[in-house]
This record gives sequence, C-alpha cells and structure tokens, in this order.
Amino acid sequence: MIGVLEIVAYVAAAAVALYGLFTTVRNRPPDRTHRIAVGVFEAVLVLQAVIAAVRVFTGIQLPEQSTFLIYLLVSVCVMPIALQFATAEPTRWGGTVIAVGAIGTGVAVWRLHDLWAAGSG
Amino acid sequence: MTEREPRATASGPGRVLIAVYAIFALSATARAGVQIAARFSEAPVAYLLSGLAGVVYILATIGLAGRGPGYRRLAWAAVTFELIGVLVIGTLTVFDTGDFPDDTVWSVYGRGYGFIPLVLPFVGLWWLRRTSHPG
Repeated sequence: MIGVLEIVAYVAAAAVALYGLFTTVRNRPPDRTHRIAVGVFEAVLVLQAVIAAVRVFTGIQLPEQSTFLIYLLVSVCVMPIALQFATAEPTRWGGTVIAVGAIGTGVAVWRLHDLWAAGSG
Repeated sequence: MTEREPRATASGPGRVLIAVYAIFALSATARAGVQIAARFSEAPVAYLLSGLAGVVYILATIGLAGRGPGYRRLAWAAVTFELIGVLVIGTLTVFDTGDFPDDTVWSVYGRGYGFIPLVLPFVGLWWLRRTSHPG
C-alpha cells in the first residue's frame, strides 16, 4: 500500500506480538512498556489509515472501495481495545491478548495491501 | 454447605480465547456485511452463512466474556453451533464446491483463515469444560 509505512507496520506488529508473548512466558502482567509499544504501533496505523483514506477520497479508484475502508477502520480499532482488555485484568495473559490483537491487525494490513494492489496495479 | 461456583470463563487464559473470538466476530461480521450489502445476489446462501457465522462468533464472545450461568449456557450453545457449522460447511465445501463458493469463514474447514475456525471451537469447548468446576 504505502510502501515504507506498511513495512514499518509489519515490523511493529511483530515486535508488539513477540514482546507480549515474552512477558506471558516470563509470567509478567502488561506494564508501561506494553503501553508505549502499542502506542507507537497505533501511531503508525493511524498515519497509514489517514494517508490511505485521503488518497481514496481524492481520486484513487479501488475495485472494492467499501471493503477497503472497513478494513482500514478495523486496522486502527483493534489495538486500543486489545490494550484495554489486556490491562483490565493484570495477569501474565495480558501480553498474549496484546499479541493476538497485533497479529490480527497485521493480517488486516496484509488484506489492505491486497485490496490496494488490485486497484493501483 | 458452601456455594460452589464455577470458575469465570473470562479470567486468565480465557481472556486470550475471548480476544481471538472477538477478532473473528469482527472480521466475519464485517466481511459478511460487505458481501450482503454489495453483492448479495451473486451467492445469497454463502453470504447468509457468512453473516450467521459472524453472529455465532459474536454470541460466543459475549457468552465467554460474561459471568454467570446464563452467559455460560450462551457460550456452550454458540461454541457447539460453531463446531457443527465448521464441520458441516467444511465437509460440504470439500466434496461439492459447485454450490458453495469458498467465501465463508467456515469454507474448507476455515482454510482461508489458517484453519483457526476449525481449532477454535475445540479449544472453546475444552475451556468451558475446564472452568465448569471450581478450581
């Protein structure tokens, strides 16, 4: 989609997921580091969503525009909810909840890539 | 005589299960919504099934996240329905792809979703069973 940002998003998703799994294995509840990591990841996602949305609304034609916009919305919504749910009960499993959210978001970005590629060739 | 309550399904590792169910609820419902809104006439059966799968995932998420016997019954019903759904639709799509486009979460046992839809109900039933006794 947006070349560099997309790669940064995958790297951030992988880093957040691995760190979440790491703290589960180490039997630690989510802490400040999780919040910062999710915050950085989310910032990348929001930036990507804003740029993509502007491009869609200012000319780029996609074959499945509504699907693309829904995935775009999903890509920015999952992490805040996952972080909230993960920290509501401070156990070791919070990290895995964050990891699940990050993997799900990564898949959504991947789907966005396919939908974008179908339109821009 | 002490009250012996079942353990909460929404605690500990159960929260990971709920997170997975919530993501499937979101993606299956969003996908079905677009399919039904944009091109329902192309494959009405498949798209209605997509919608049904989405609803089942939503009910399972709510059942697992809630506390109390009512929520537990809802979770049992939804996860059992999910297991039957993925096995029936999975089998139908493997043997006869003519009538069913590979367009639902449960097609070919959830191949399009890394077979997670096939594994998830077994994990769900195991977790419900495990938490049904005080521990």
